Amino acid sequence: MALLELSGLTKRFGAFTALDDITLLIERGEVHCLLGENGAGKSTLCNLVFGVHRPDAGTMTLGGEPFDPRGPAEALQRGVVMVHQHFSLVPNMTVAENLMLGRASAVLKPQDIIVRMEQLAAEYGLEIDPEARIDELSVGERQRVEIIKCLLGDPQLLVLDEPTAVLQPDEIDALLAICRQVALRGKSVILVTHKLGEISRVADRTTVLRQGRIIATVAMEGADIRSLVRSMVGRDVQSAGSVLAAAVDIEGKTPAKSSSDVGPTSPGEAVLQISDLVYRDPHGVPRLDGLSLTVGTGEIVGIAGVEGNGQTELGLILAGLAAPSAGAIVVGGTQVTGCTPQEITDAGVGIVPEDRHAVACIKELSVAENLYLGAIGKFSRFGLLDKSARRKAAETMMRDFDVRASSPDVSMASLSGGNQQKAVLARELSLDPLVFLLAAQPTRGLDVGAIEAVYNRIRAARDDGLGVLLISSELEELMAVSDRIAVIYRGKLVGELAAGSFSREAIGAMMSGHAHV
Amino acid sequence: MIDEQMAVFIGSGLRLAVPIIFAATGEMLSERAGVLNLSLDGMMLMSAFTAALASWATGSPLIGVAAGVLVATAVAAAQAVLSVTLRANQLVVGIGFNILALGSTTFLYREIFGPLSRDPIPGFAQLNLPWLAHIPVIGPALANQTGLAYVSILMVVVTWLILKYTSFGLAVRAVGEDPRAADKAGISVARTRYLGVLYAGILAGLGGAFMSVADSNTFTENMTKGAGYLAITAVIFGGWNPWYTLAACLLFGFATALQFLVPALQLDVPVALLLLLPYLLALVAIAGFVGKSRQPSALTIPFERGG
Repeated sequence: MALLELSGLTKRFGAFTALDDITLLIERGEVHCLLGENGAGKSTLCNLVFGVHRPDAGTMTLGGEPFDPRGPAEALQRGVVMVHQHFSLVPNMTVAENLMLGRASAVLKPQDIIVRMEQLAAEYGLEIDPEARIDELSVGERQRVEIIKCLLGDPQLLVLDEPTAVLQPDEIDALLAICRQVALRGKSVILVTHKLGEISRVADRTTVLRQGRIIATVAMEGADIRSLVRSMVGRDVQSAGSVLAAAVDIEGKTPAKSSSDVGPTSPGEAVLQISDLVYRDPHGVPRLDGLSLTVGTGEIVGIAGVEGNGQTELGLILAGLAAPSAGAIVVGGTQVTGCTPQEITDAGVGIVPEDRHAVACIKELSVAENLYLGAIGKFSRFGLLDKSARRKAAETMMRDFDVRASSPDVSMASLSGGNQQKAVLARELSLDPLVFLLAAQPTRGLDVGAIEAVYNRIRAARDDGLGVLLISSELEELMAVSDRIAVIYRGKLVGELAAGSFSREAIGAMMSGHAHV
Repeated sequence: MIDEQMAVFIGSGLRLAVPIIFAATGEMLSERAGVLNLSLDGMMLMSAFTAALASWATGSPLIGVAAGVLVATAVAAAQAVLSVTLRANQLVVGIGFNILALGSTTFLYREIFGPLSRDPIPGFAQLNLPWLAHIPVIGPALANQTGLAYVSILMVVVTWLILKYTSFGLAVRAVGEDPRAADKAGISVARTRYLGVLYAGILAGLGGAFMSVADSNTFTENMTKGAGYLAITAVIFGGWNPWYTLAACLLFGFATALQFLVPALQLDVPVALLLLLPYLLALVAIAGFVGKSRQPSALTIPFERGG
């Protein structure tokens, strides 16, 4: 008998149907992967099983009994545990305190937890210092705490929502091994991912979701990976080429570059020069520690690194949103160290920031207004806005950059993530002057079609002679787009690879600080 | 002579600190859970009035305290419904309750006590503990306090124990720092916050009742004179730590008591200026310490479950 049975589950958020009539069996002792693009409904499905949301229609049974959790507490009681996409650990508490949270016993008994942690360390190799504070741990260690927290109570079903997105390659291997071990002990695992490479290594069965519906459920033994990809994106793989391969990480192989993918062999003069950049956060912790980098005209330089190694801060400083503690930044001969965003824009820098919603656009304003946020003066006459001129200009820009919206006057919030990002690119690439583009995590949260468009835009900018700095946590993306990849580790660049010599293993080793080139 | 004046100064400093200690200790726990009760002063004032009324009507100050605590807890429950369940702005709700408390107690006091306002209200006697009295200088001041004053220190210890050694305390800290994480660990954020606010209400009630039936044996209009606000300041000043908060409350108590000491020493300082001192101190404390001490991350932020 199946452990978990979902029948006819439907979940709507307002007018948007996130899940539509999902019927699915999860067997005991299996690792069941959920595959799908962003917005396919994977996370929503997990949240229904864990009681974070409640279904609008449909029923669930767990171990043959009706299962309708009104909250995580009830799901936990029934032996369903979940590791969330965003960690759910209290940052300023110790590991032991986090593990004790929500466990019954009026008086805290840290000793009991430590004993149980030792058991789990012996059983699964999950070791961690119980006295360490969460905010002192690395991302990989935090996830280990999450998994320990899940396994403490000897659960029946372990749900993992995109657990590998934040991990280094060797940590991913360890995590997948733990999934197998958990399944071997007769428990079930639901693993959400959009990376096929991981699925082929760990899954017993895979369910493909697209737009809230189940497209297929396949046993992995002898399954055809290409057909899985096809059902995931709803079109043939060939049409998307290396872009798609990068997006879904097929077999972990480096996508082959076609000749048009490769930029000029010798980049021109330096357009961005960063020397000995140091940044200390408000707590005095060094986030950037003497970083130096040069980007030439007509080249794309990728920055690889595990999140939290200073790439976010680098992006903020280049955008003028944070002031460096020391060091210098020169763009096209102009000193921009510690300058305001306006001055940096005037120096010819286009910015696609990491946090699209917070920094890149104002969601309540219209698309046209967003397209001309920094250039309001361009459309004012005698201090009044000339709306029709702006509207016309916006329409042209939307057509050029394929921003799909019913009109330039609809709010930015009504656009999909991909179209929002295209609008941001349109604005930044239309700046005049423009000599350098910073693209920080430019494809985060986008679907395959939009990813392809973003890649093409970045390549076109490079071909027009711009210097591009691409900061990304997706290794495949960097390898597909960059002419050169520099690896950041603890606020410093620890190595560099030129196009043609990219390898997952070499970059992965540098990202984890194990090897220096 | 000087010794005697010091004893009076210390005694009155402690006495004036007690209501703030009660209120601040409860408020500290509530804020650790993420709810700021700006209504603290209102809770105290309503409790002070109710305690005076009940004590006067029944002749028992103990019943007075019980009635005061009950009313303050009811205000806290209302605050909790509005700020936890209905997710109203905690500051606005608090201000509303304070205005309501001031208006209603003033009105009821004039209606009920009106001409009787000179009547003494039955209150607690001082305990006069001989074993404490033997300590030099501070001994007599420590020994001559009412029972409630000792209870206030006991509550600091109890609150510290709750936060450090019980799962409820752990839940409180988690809910105030990261309610989302606490929710996903299976803790009821709403229940924890309700209990935190009610705890603040009970202690503010004790503090308010102390003013009317243990300290002055009378009720006067707006008799808290902002003690609830001082308590909130003490929590910030004390960095959300029970012992530092206690120290901050004592500081405010002694600063207030200076108004008795300075004239007794025949120093030429205007009394009005001395009356201002604790509030001035509170401002300086906030300005100097707010940046340094880290408040619970989710303080005043209502929780709504989401993905």
